[in-house]
Amino acid sequence: MEEIRGQNTYQIELFERLRRSVSLKKAEECFGCIIKPAFWWIIDKPNPKTKEIEDLLKQSYHSIKKIFTDKSGECLNTLAETLKKSAEHKKLLSFDCMEDFHGFVFPIAQGDKIYGYIGACYSRKEISSEALQIFPAFADTIVKEVQKEIELSKLYETLRPRAIALSTVHTVHRLISSTLDLGELLPRIARLSLQIMRAQRCSVKLVDSKRKLLLPKVTVDLRAKKIRLKKVKVGMWAPGKAFKYGRPVRARDYLATPLIDEDIIGVITLYDKIDKKPFTAFDQEIMSTMAEQAVIAIKNAQLYKEQERLTMGTIKALAKVLDTRAPGTYVPRVSSVKIAQCIGQEQMMDADSLKSLEYASVLHDAGEVFVPKAVLAKPTKLTGKEYKMVKAHPAAGVEIIKHIKALKGVTPIIMYHHENYDGSGYPKGLKKDQIPLGARIMAIVSAFEAMISKKPYRAAKSINEAVMEVSRNSGTQFDPKVVDSFLNVMRRKDIKDAVKRDQRESNYIR
Amino acid sequence: MDLNKALKPGIRTKIVNFFHENQSSIDTPRGVAAWIDEDRGKVKKALEELTSCNILIAHRSTSTTGYSYTRDPKLISNIVKLLKKRPA
Repeated sequence: MEEIRGQNTYQIELFERLRRSVSLKKAEECFGCIIKPAFWWIIDKPNPKTKEIEDLLKQSYHSIKKIFTDKSGECLNTLAETLKKSAEHKKLLSFDCMEDFHGFVFPIAQGDKIYGYIGACYSRKEISSEALQIFPAFADTIVKEVQKEIELSKLYETLRPRAIALSTVHTVHRLISSTLDLGELLPRIARLSLQIMRAQRCSVKLVDSKRKLLLPKVTVDLRAKKIRLKKVKVGMWAPGKAFKYGRPVRARDYLATPLIDEDIIGVITLYDKIDKKPFTAFDQEIMSTMAEQAVIAIKNAQLYKEQERLTMGTIKALAKVLDTRAPGTYVPRVSSVKIAQCIGQEQMMDADSLKSLEYASVLHDAGEVFVPKAVLAKPTKLTGKEYKMVKAHPAAGVEIIKHIKALKGVTPIIMYHHENYDGSGYPKGLKKDQIPLGARIMAIVSAFEAMISKKPYRAAKSINEAVMEVSRNSGTQFDPKVVDSFLNVMRRKDIKDAVKRDQRESNYIR
Repeated sequence: MDLNKALKPGIRTKIVNFFHENQSSIDTPRGVAAWIDEDRGKVKKALEELTSCNILIAHRSTSTTGYSYTRDPKLISNIVKLLKKRPA
């Protein structure tokens, strides 16, 4: 088939697809048997010029190894006139020309618009009226099929990238809303933004509203080994401008997107795409959606941190109140909290359990407030009644905190931190794994803390002596696995230094 | 890393083709399975294999893992060469 190329993109695609259409080829073969044309052709212009028609005919004749001669111009005139009439009436028209040759022209139209023509020439047989009736139905179906194909491919091209982008935003939402730790969240936002935008550098800055500054919280740069974190004044550079105007600031090599909640809480800025292409309006749209997700996650993490601070503040206030009764008894050593946390980490405790362990480090002996001071400080052996009072202190501690929902995870640690691994402890006489892990850790930490503290009735043990004492009681009083973790932790220089510092600072009697 | 081995014809090539065409995408195994019309379990396994070859990056969280395409231009160019030779 020969053709004249059109200009319009839709037209080009329509005719390219028609030329490749298997259905059209089959229709040509089928009708070829009936009308026996020498050649079929497609014209992909609604109003081809005479020269273009001539070229088409020359090429068509050439394809059947004949030379096109039309000195009188009869052939050209006939075809041009038939094309015109066929476009006018929007229907198939047959024609006769030259030495008893026959042909037809079928307009390819959509509504009122003519895109081009399918035709056949050089048939020695007159085209029957049946063939003239059937072909338009076939051709129409084939053209419609091709037009539908184009529509579908356009839909696919526009919808699929958006659907994939939407799916990405959904995944990002899940990834960033799964952590409440700001220290983990901000780098994650930066890395995911880098990935989505295929950029080289991303910085997340949060607002310091008092000083009207954007403070750098995290910068990820795929190229640089060392990163300098810079503060940015409002209105300065891309992040400062995005903050000032409350809208994204985009240029060829950067895209700054404000994190907007009720106020602007920060700015995410991306620099330099990997493929060196400019940031686009679509990138801006995606980053704005990403920023909406990020701001929710950041606010949640900030609120959670605030809530944690509030809980810890309440616990410390409670410890201070208790401490007025027996100074130095309830405010824990910094090193004890650290030791408990490190053992918990060695034992692969999750973040919530570690937090409970931290709270329990402060509150584990809160129940002693109900035990008379004289009993706690008694240098000689306790009577049965006195021992019963001491044994009741874990349950009493649980009574104090049981109404604070945030301390739910702390209650088993307080309740069972005087249980012994061999079942000889109190209040329930639990043994081995029956004792919650947090309580098994707290048992060691509180015993160690007591041993290195000076009491009214005995001198303080040295750190090494206390460590050896804990080790001696492995498998009886203490869980051997937790003792191993304790020994590992106590080998660390930073922990030893912290314990020594605490010993120097606490001159009070414990 | 043997890229030839890593990109065995089949599901892995389909996944890499998807991420190569959509380099900004980060998706879960369920998402990727839907885009390439394959079984989620097989996709999950292939995603991990491709991550271990550094062709994909895994963004892990407690609730899910998102996978995205490598940012290494050299590796991407080698992948392109191989994909041209070897259609999915």
